[in-house]
Amino acid sequence: MSTDLETLERLARARDFIDHCYDHPLSLDQISEKACFSRYHFLRLFRQAFNKTPHQYLIERRIEKAKELLRKEDDVRVTDVCFEVGFQSLGSFSSLFHKCVGHAPITYREKARETEQAKRQVPGCFIVMYKLESV
Amino acid sequence: MIRKMSHATVFVTNQNEALEFYRDKLGFRVHTDAMVGPDFRWLTMCTNDQPDFEIILLEPKPGMMMDQETSNAIRTLLGKGVLGAGVFNTDDCRGTYEEMKAKGVQFVSEPAERPYGVEAVFRDNSGNWFSLTQPTGKS
Repeated sequence: MSTDLETLERLARARDFIDHCYDHPLSLDQISEKACFSRYHFLRLFRQAFNKTPHQYLIERRIEKAKELLRKEDDVRVTDVCFEVGFQSLGSFSSLFHKCVGHAPITYREKARETEQAKRQVPGCFIVMYKLESV
Repeated sequence: MIRKMSHATVFVTNQNEALEFYRDKLGFRVHTDAMVGPDFRWLTMCTNDQPDFEIILLEPKPGMMMDQETSNAIRTLLGKGVLGAGVFNTDDCRGTYEEMKAKGVQFVSEPAERPYGVEAVFRDNSGNWFSLTQPTGKS
């Protein structure tokens, strides 16, 4: 069943809210409120429209941000990244990160740095032709 | 104005084996060997006299620039031995020929006099053929 346009707009509003406020502790109530749906109705519609639950979407957003911070910030500690992207506990951050990315945060950072280092040695044409920009 | 060539690609069937061959049998050294992401290995080697000319040893693999069909096509051409990848220079073609032969390098033709010098032709372990030339005037 496809989601009608008005519902989609309301869902997108809630998703935008996650995009903006992912670094805060967000409850389903807070998120569903943005779409003006009851929480269970919202949960079902959201999953139908975006193929994931709001919680999964939120986690993905946080993990993406964590990856970015780990890649870019030289001296940032994993603990700081964890809290900065909105997780409340280092343990759940680490295990979720590992599950999503395939490596622990610290290993991801090492690998990302090695990749950056390696990329600098490769002529740009190869990076482009072999689609290595985003690895 | 183009000044010079800095990189050239040689497709190889296996980068590990190519590295060993080019290092141990041809006497090249590794210029750069780095993983860019999980699947792309940037491996370049150079001769002693040309440290700034990198020979890129690239493995045809599906998933990056190529699809499976393209990768297979290149591997087939390598297997058929039809890819000629260039000319290397030496001061002593016959001597180098003996050294390389002793190391097990396969030669397509033995050293012979040419208008431009002495030349032999060998293959690398992937099937690429190269000329080994001692230009006239070099003892």
